[in-house]
Amino acid sequence: MEELLRHSAVQGAAAPFVAALLVVAVLQFVRLGGLAAAAGFCVAVYLISGFSISPLTATRKIVLLGVAAPLVGMLIDFASKPTRIGHAVLGLAAGAAAVWTFFGVLQQKELSQALLVGGGVAVFLAWLVVFGLTQSENSVRAGAIGLGLGAGAGVAGVLGGSALYGSYAIALGAGATAFLLWQMITGKRVAAGATFILPATIVPGLLLAGTMILAQLPWYTLAGFALLPLATLLPFPEKAPVSVQATVASTYALVVAAGACAMAWYAAGGISG
Amino acid sequence: MKLRSALCLGAMALPPAALAAPETYSMDPQHSFLHFDVAYGNGTSKLSGRFDRVTGKFVIDRAAGTGRLDVAVQAASITTGDVDKGGRPHSRDGHLRSPDFLDVAEFPTMTFKSTKVLFKDDAPSRIEGNMTLLGVTRPVTFAVDHWKCAPQPATGKMMCGANAYTTIRRSDFGMKFGIPAIADEQSLWIEVHAYRD
Repeated sequence: MEELLRHSAVQGAAAPFVAALLVVAVLQFVRLGGLAAAAGFCVAVYLISGFSISPLTATRKIVLLGVAAPLVGMLIDFASKPTRIGHAVLGLAAGAAAVWTFFGVLQQKELSQALLVGGGVAVFLAWLVVFGLTQSENSVRAGAIGLGLGAGAGVAGVLGGSALYGSYAIALGAGATAFLLWQMITGKRVAAGATFILPATIVPGLLLAGTMILAQLPWYTLAGFALLPLATLLPFPEKAPVSVQATVASTYALVVAAGACAMAWYAAGGISG
Repeated sequence: MKLRSALCLGAMALPPAALAAPETYSMDPQHSFLHFDVAYGNGTSKLSGRFDRVTGKFVIDRAAGTGRLDVAVQAASITTGDVDKGGRPHSRDGHLRSPDFLDVAEFPTMTFKSTKVLFKDDAPSRIEGNMTLLGVTRPVTFAVDHWKCAPQPATGKMMCGANAYTTIRRSDFGMKFGIPAIADEQSLWIEVHAYRD
């Protein structure tokens, strides 16, 4: 069993998927099925490197924010009604969190470079969170955003030079997949809300930013991923069964993610021979 | 004659320690390197590499039997001979610099600062100190297996050379990716060539 748990495919995909599926199955009745994405991510962190906050490196800050995001999401879902101002505030908070995450690296750069990079990742995170929150009431669109960002950030992470970040992102994508799959199997929607969408946007967003700042992912790949939430607005069979809706929305998201990954692939030199 | 005798007597009266003073040596970055090796493939093979940019100073006082060593290593200078990624997304050296391992963008420098130098037969034999890697500081002891000082033949400037080795667990410094496929335990050895300031 220990040997199995050490396998990278188990750590980064299979175990997170199973854990997320259990979370959806059990917690959907108390409107917490949206914890599936965060559950997938947390299982991968536990298996791959464990939870630790000292010293507080950029990677550990991403993990901390990945754990905090669903908690904030639950507070929002149960304590208040979503408002546009609320979305904007959360977007600003996400942008600030991005700067905080990479501050140690940004302060080593020239001021102009630090402002450009820091400002860019802040805007990227804020955009993902604000747009994601507008779709959080639609569990299929929200699930597709989580799947596309998670799987895409996973592939981009590996292409950009960090298998660790790739594994973390794929794990979150596996959690989002479980969230969607449960709805497809049962034919019933499960509440997503901020509980789902906050970790589903913040974690892959930070991992993509981290792969750009700390490894070798080109900046324009993030621009490609910024289009992903928009893809879920494409024509959508609202009256079709949940399984069809999920398939269509996921396809849109994965096509955009594939396009962004293609940019990373090209930057990495593609395959030779 | 009387003056010469007086000077000799005066010199003999001085305590020996006053004649010896701490000597400071600066490491020659072109001849000082930090090497490592680590087992991988679940122990089937061993990978060796080195850090090309090592700077530092050591201070030695043979009469008092004390010393101090400060070393700084540029983490990004790691090389395992694999720089051309070919058809892969990244080379091994590129991967080692990433957040998965050395995270050089966030932690560009590794350091070792000695706290105690133990001598045997007038030469350093063990160097105890603190290593800082990935923002984590842990006690590490190097065993010195070679030490020699001599004047540089061309310039006559005093130079010293030393080799010292140790073993660390990278997980102690928070570097856990890939364990156990890539071993936790690593051997480190430093080759030092330094000139007296």
